Amino acid sequence: MAATATGPFGFAPAIAVLPLVAFAVTLLFGKHLPKKGALPGIIATAGSLLISLVMFAAVGGGNAYHTTLYEWTAGAAASETGAEGIAFTFGVLIDPLSALMLVIVSLVALLVHVFSLGYMNAEGETGLPRYYAELGLFTFSMLAFVFADNLLMAFMFFELVGLCSYLLIGFWFRTESAPSAAKKAFLVTRFGDYFFLIGVVAIAATFGTVGFAGEASFVTAAETAIDDGATLFGFDAQTWVTITGLLVLGGVLGKSAQFPFHTWLPDAMEGPTTVSALIHAATMVAAGVYLVARMFGYYALSPTALSIIAFVGGFTALFAATMGVVKDDVKQVLAYSTISQYGYMMLGLGVGGYVAGVFHLLNHAFFKALLFLGAGAVIVLMHHEQNMWKMGGLKDKAPVTYYTFLAGALALAGIVPFSGFWSKDEVLFDALIIGLEQPIILAAYAMGLVAVFFTGFYTFRMVFLTFHGEPRSETAEDPHPVGWPIKVPLIVLGILATVTGLVNMAPVAKLLDVEITFLEFWLDGEYGSVEGLTYHAYHETVAFEEGVIGGSETTTMLLSAGLSLGLALAGAFTAHTLYNVPEPTRHMQKLGGAYSLLRRNYYQDEYQVWLAEGLTLPVARAADRFDQTVIDGLVNGTSTVSLFSSSWVKRIQTGIVTNYAALLVGGFIALLLVLGYLGGWFA
Amino acid sequence: MAVFQLPEWAALAPALILAGTALVLFLFDSINPRSTNRPLLAGTAVAGSLASLAVAVWFTAAGVGATGIENYGVVDVMNGQFIVDRLALYFMIIISIVTALVAVASYDYLRDHTYQAEYYSLVVLAATGMSMIAASNSLVTIFIALELTSLPSYALVAILKDNRGSVEAGLKYFLIGALSSAIFVYGISLVYGATGSLQLEAIAANLGAAGEMGGLLGLGILMLVGGVAFKTASVPFHFWAPEAYEGAPAPISAFLSSASKAAGFVLAFRVFTTAFPLEATTAVIGVDWTVAFVILAIVTMTLGNFAAATQENVKRMLAYSSIGHAGYVLIGLAALSTEAGDLVMGAAMMHLLVYGFMNTGAFLFVALAEYWGVGPTFADYNGLSKQAPFASAAMAVFMFSLAGVPPFGGFWSKYLLYTETVNAAADNTVLLVLAAALVVNSALSLYYYSRLVKALWIEEPILDRDRLTQPTGLYAAIIAAAVMTVVILPAFDPIATAALEAAAAVVG
Repeated sequence: MAATATGPFGFAPAIAVLPLVAFAVTLLFGKHLPKKGALPGIIATAGSLLISLVMFAAVGGGNAYHTTLYEWTAGAAASETGAEGIAFTFGVLIDPLSALMLVIVSLVALLVHVFSLGYMNAEGETGLPRYYAELGLFTFSMLAFVFADNLLMAFMFFELVGLCSYLLIGFWFRTESAPSAAKKAFLVTRFGDYFFLIGVVAIAATFGTVGFAGEASFVTAAETAIDDGATLFGFDAQTWVTITGLLVLGGVLGKSAQFPFHTWLPDAMEGPTTVSALIHAATMVAAGVYLVARMFGYYALSPTALSIIAFVGGFTALFAATMGVVKDDVKQVLAYSTISQYGYMMLGLGVGGYVAGVFHLLNHAFFKALLFLGAGAVIVLMHHEQNMWKMGGLKDKAPVTYYTFLAGALALAGIVPFSGFWSKDEVLFDALIIGLEQPIILAAYAMGLVAVFFTGFYTFRMVFLTFHGEPRSETAEDPHPVGWPIKVPLIVLGILATVTGLVNMAPVAKLLDVEITFLEFWLDGEYGSVEGLTYHAYHETVAFEEGVIGGSETTTMLLSAGLSLGLALAGAFTAHTLYNVPEPTRHMQKLGGAYSLLRRNYYQDEYQVWLAEGLTLPVARAADRFDQTVIDGLVNGTSTVSLFSSSWVKRIQTGIVTNYAALLVGGFIALLLVLGYLGGWFA
Repeated sequence: MAVFQLPEWAALAPALILAGTALVLFLFDSINPRSTNRPLLAGTAVAGSLASLAVAVWFTAAGVGATGIENYGVVDVMNGQFIVDRLALYFMIIISIVTALVAVASYDYLRDHTYQAEYYSLVVLAATGMSMIAASNSLVTIFIALELTSLPSYALVAILKDNRGSVEAGLKYFLIGALSSAIFVYGISLVYGATGSLQLEAIAANLGAAGEMGGLLGLGILMLVGGVAFKTASVPFHFWAPEAYEGAPAPISAFLSSASKAAGFVLAFRVFTTAFPLEATTAVIGVDWTVAFVILAIVTMTLGNFAAATQENVKRMLAYSSIGHAGYVLIGLAALSTEAGDLVMGAAMMHLLVYGFMNTGAFLFVALAEYWGVGPTFADYNGLSKQAPFASAAMAVFMFSLAGVPPFGGFWSKYLLYTETVNAAADNTVLLVLAAALVVNSALSLYYYSRLVKALWIEEPILDRDRLTQPTGLYAAIIAAAVMTVVILPAFDPIATAALEAAAAVVG
C-alpha cells in the first residue's frame, strides 16, 4: 500500500526489517540450517543492499522521503520555546546522506557475512547460530539508526548498536579477555551515552520536538530561537544549543572512540575479526560520526561546539596515530588507525566540512573493512597468530590478500590516487582555510597534518612486517590456504578502496575546472534532497571565516595537498627503510623514553582504571557503608522502635474496666484542657 | 416528578423496612423462642436487609436528596427531626450491605446455638438504629437512634451465654457504653442550654445567641465528640473495642466494626457540619473544633496500628486495625477547616464503604475459622490455605486491601484520601502531618496484615487438621465481600460520585 503511494520508498523499512527477520530465524532455527545460519543473514543483507541501492537510485532521481511510521505517544507539553505538544514516533528519513550510508552499511554487512563463511564456518567455530543472529541484530540496529528521522529513535537504535557490539565483542565468552573487553566497550560507551540521553531530554524539553528534518525539527526551532534572541533555561539561545549539542556529543565521542573515550576500542579486538570489520567500518564506530553528520544543521548553529569537535578530532587523530606506531598485533595497529581516522572525520565536520567528513566516512568504510578482512585473512593464513613479528614473507604465498591489503594500506596512508588521499586531503584543506582565521582550528589542523606522517609510517610498518621480508615463523613459511568466501569480499573491497576516491576529486576539479565533485553535488541536493539538509544550507549556517594562502584558493589547495601527500610518503618511506629488510628489528631504543609511554598508550587505561578503582570504588564503598549502617540502621531501628512501642501500647489494655473508665475520662479531660486553653474557656 | 407522590415518612423506608423485619423476627421469637428453623430466620433477616438496600439504592437512583428539577430534593420528615438526603442514603446502603453479609454468614455460624430468633431480631434492630442515625437531624432523635443501636449491641456481644469471654466482653462494653452515653447526653444538654435548640439547623441558627456561654457550648461540643468517638471506637473511647470484638461472636464483631462504626461517622458528619458550621462556631467558642479531630485522628490511627503490630490474637489484631481505620476516616472531619474539605470527607466516606466490605470479610473469615474450631492465634491459622485455598485467598485480598496495597479497593480509597488531604493541606499545613501519619501507619499496618497472610500461605501447620467443611453461607458472604473488594475498583467512579455528592450534601 505504502509502496504504491510513495514509489519505491514504501519499501524503506524493509531495509532494516530483513536483517531483523534473519536474526529471528537464525536464533530459532539456526542449528538446523545449512551453514549454521549464515544463509538467512546473507540473503537478508543482500536484500537490504538491493533495496538500499533502489533508494539510492530514487534519491539520485530527484526524490527524498520523510514519513512517520508509528507514533507511540504524544501529548501536550509546554516546552521552553513555546511548542504546544510533543510526539514520540518512529519514522523514516531517506535523504542523500542516509541513502549513501544505507548502501555502505548494507554492503559492508553483506561482505562481512560472506567473509564469515570462510573465517568462522571453515575454522570450525562453535556457537555460530548465536554469531549470525547477533550479526543480524547488529545490522538491523545500525540500518534503523541510519534512517531514523528523529533523535529519540536514533538514540534507541544507537543503544541497540551498543548492546550488539557488547554481545559480539564478547562472542568468545569462555576466554578471560573477551568478556572483559565487551564489558569495557559497553561501559565506556554507556558513559558517553548518559550525556547523550540527557541531551535528548534537554532538546525535547527545549524545543518540543526531536525531529531531524522539516519545519517541525529541533534544528529549525533552534535556528528560530537564535534569530529571535530567545532565552532558553536561563541561557542565551546559542549557548544553550552549544550545551545540548555537547551533551549529545558525549554519546558520539563514546561510540566513535574519540579522546578520552577511545580506550574501549583497542580492547574490542577480542571479538572475531569479522566483527571488528563491521564495528569499525560501518556500524558501531561509524554511528557516532554519522550522528554528527545527521544533525549537522544543529551543530552548525554553534561555532563553539564545532571548534570543540574539530579540536578533539585533530587531537585524537594524532594521539591515536602515535600509539599505532609501536603495536605488534596487526589488529591493534588497525584499531588505533580507526580511532585516528575517525578523528579526521570529526576534524572535517568540526570545521564545517560536511562533504569532507562524509567523504572520509565513505572511503574509510571501504578501506577499513578491507584492511580488517585482510587482517582476518592473514590470521587465517597464520593459524590465528596475530603478532606481526611472527609473520613476514606472506606476499608471495597469498597474492590476493597481499594486493588487496596493499590497496587498503595505500588508501589508509593517503597516497594518491587511492581513496583515502582524496578525502583526507579535503578534510585537511577545509581545516586549513578555516585555521588561517581561527588559531584553535589551526592547531587542530597542525595535529591532523602531523598525524598523516605517523599514519603513513604505521601503515607501511604493518604491511612490511606482515608481507615482506623473510618468514619469521614456521606457520609463516607454510600458511593455511584461504578460500573464495574470503577472497571475494577482499577483491570487491579492494576495488572500492581504490576507486571510491574518484567520486569527489576536488583538487582536480579546481585545477581543470570541471564539474566532477559528484559527492558534493549529491550531498548538496543536486539530485534529491530534504529541505534544509543540504551542504549549502549547512555552509551558510556555519559562522566560520575562510582564509587563503597567497591570495589564491588553488594555491592553498595545492599546497595543502602537496604537504599531506609528502608527509604520507615520508612516513611510508621511513617505514620502508626501517622495516622493509629481510630481517627487521624492533628499533625500540630510537624512541627512548617515549617508547614505553606509547606502549602503555599514554597511560590512558591506567588513569581510567584509577578513576574506577581509586575514586569510584571508594565512593561506592562509602555509599554502601552509608546504606548498610545509616539507612539500614534507620529502617531496622524504626521497626525495633515500632515493635517495642507496640508491646508498650498493648499494655494500656489491662482488661480491668475501671482502668478503662479512668483512662477514658482522663483522655477526655486532657482533650478538654487543650481545647479549652486554645479557646480561652477558662478565662 | 414521579407519577404518584409517596407520603413524606416513606422516605425513611430503608430504616422502616429494617424495623419491620426486626418486629417479624421478634414475633417468631415470641411464638417459639427455641426455634432452630435457621433458613427461615436467617432468610428473613437477609431478605429484610436486602429490601432495605434495594430501596436505598432505588431512592439514590431516583434522585431523592439530589437537587434539580428532575429530582425530589431533600426530604424532611417530622418537621426536620429526620432528614433523608444523599448522606443518609449513602450510609443506609453501607449499613444494609453489612447487615446482609452478617446475616448470611450467621446462618452457618449459629448452627448449634439456641435463641436464634432473638439473635437475628437484635441484629436487625441494631441495624434499624444505625439507619435511623443516618437520617436523624435532631439531637433527640440522634440520641434515641444511638441507644437503639447500642442496647442490642451489648446483648449481641454477650449472646454466647455459656462463654465467659463473651459475657465479660458484653458487660465491659455495656459499662463503657453507659459512661459514653452519659457524656454524650450531657453534651446534648449543654448544647441545648447554650442554644436553646435540639434540631440541628436550629442549633446552627441560634449559635449567635450562645454569646457569653461560649465555653459551655464548647464543652458540650467536646462531649458530643466523645459520643462519636465511642461509636467509632476512637481513642480514648476505644477501650471497649478490643475486648468486645474478641469476646463477641465473629459475625457480631464484623457488624460492630463495620456498620456500627459507619453509623458513628455519619452521626459525626451530620452533627458537625449541620449544627456547628465552622466559622460561626469558632466565633462563639473561640477555637476551631477540627483541632479536636486532628488530635483524635493522629492519636487513634497511631495507637490502633501500633497496638495491632504485636498482637498474637487474630481477632484482637483486627480490632486494633479497626481502630486504626477509624483514625484514617477521622481525617475527613479534621480537614473540614479547608476549602477542599468536602473532597477529603468524600474520600473518607469512600474509605468507609470499601472498609465495609474488606473489614466485614476479614471478620467473617475469622468466623469461618471459629466455625472450624481453629484456635484464636496467628499460629493456629498456619497453613490454612492448604485446606481452604479459596477462603484463604479471599482473606489475603482483605488483608492487602486493608493495608492499602494496589490493585484492591482499599488502596484506591486510601490513595484518594491521601491525595485529597495533601491537596487540602494548601489551606492548612497541619493536614500534612495527618497525611504523613496516614502513610507511616499504613506502612506499619502492612507488617501485621502480611503476618496473617504469611501464616495462611507460607507457614506449615503446627498440627494436622482433618478435612475442613465448606459452610455455604459463610463462604458465600466471604467470597461476595472479596469480589466486591476487588471489583469496586472498576466501579470506583460511580461510588466516588455518590460519596462526593453525599459529602457535598452536608458541607456548604
